[in-house]
Amino acid sequence: MTASKQRRSGAHQVLLALYALFVLAAGARAAVQLATDAGRAPVAYALSAVAAATYAAGWLAIRRASVGRTGFASVMLWVELAGVVTVGTLSLVERDWFPDASVWSDYGIGYGFVPAVLPVAGLLWLRSQRPPV
Amino acid sequence: MPPLPQTALDQITYVAVGYAGLVTLAALAVTVRRVPRPQVLDNGVWILEVLLAVRAVAGLGTMLNGDRPAEMSAHIGYLVASVCVLPIAMQSVADDRGPWSSGVVTVAALAVTVVAVRLQMTLR
Repeated sequence: MTASKQRRSGAHQVLLALYALFVLAAGARAAVQLATDAGRAPVAYALSAVAAATYAAGWLAIRRASVGRTGFASVMLWVELAGVVTVGTLSLVERDWFPDASVWSDYGIGYGFVPAVLPVAGLLWLRSQRPPV
Repeated sequence: MPPLPQTALDQITYVAVGYAGLVTLAALAVTVRRVPRPQVLDNGVWILEVLLAVRAVAGLGTMLNGDRPAEMSAHIGYLVASVCVLPIAMQSVADDRGPWSSGVVTVAALAVTVVAVRLQMTLR
């Protein structure tokens, strides 16, 4: 049995489903907001588009990590976590920059804080993927 | 407390939200027990999909009759998502009945629960 088949079933499937869902949710949200009312909150809407792109990259990173190639995921998940923390903090400190919420505003409160939990869950899963020393 | 349903479309949506919540809980219970995904869970998911398809057709019919939702573009997005998410999720675990495949079903069922609520919120 190949490595990819051995790892086919596992927690990464749930992570992949969540990432795919957030690509859809963040991407559709950003597309609708930028297409219909881009001038209202350009920073927030652009950040939602950035979040969608990050989730797409995160999905790819976890898919690669599930077959043993963990390099991209070990960078991408930290980038995602940094994005959530930075945007979440900015949305609390600089309210004027966010007349409307972005996906990562208030650490993802609009999505039940899943955006804040997701990279942490991904990093914990990634840690469990490392072969024992 | 949510408002009482006013139309048949509202009633279908409320039933869909409740049933989607039940499927979510059932899928979560199977995931937590770490047992292979039972066929009955698949059946429950496909019944939910039929319910959501009926809701989508009824919603489209209402819109074609001139009853436009308050947030049109968002509502159509949720309408499309409500019928697409479950088939895509089930396809991704079609040849895998392992315990984690129920986790994927949990995520998808929870997503359509939220989508069904948002459908109602963007309607008026």
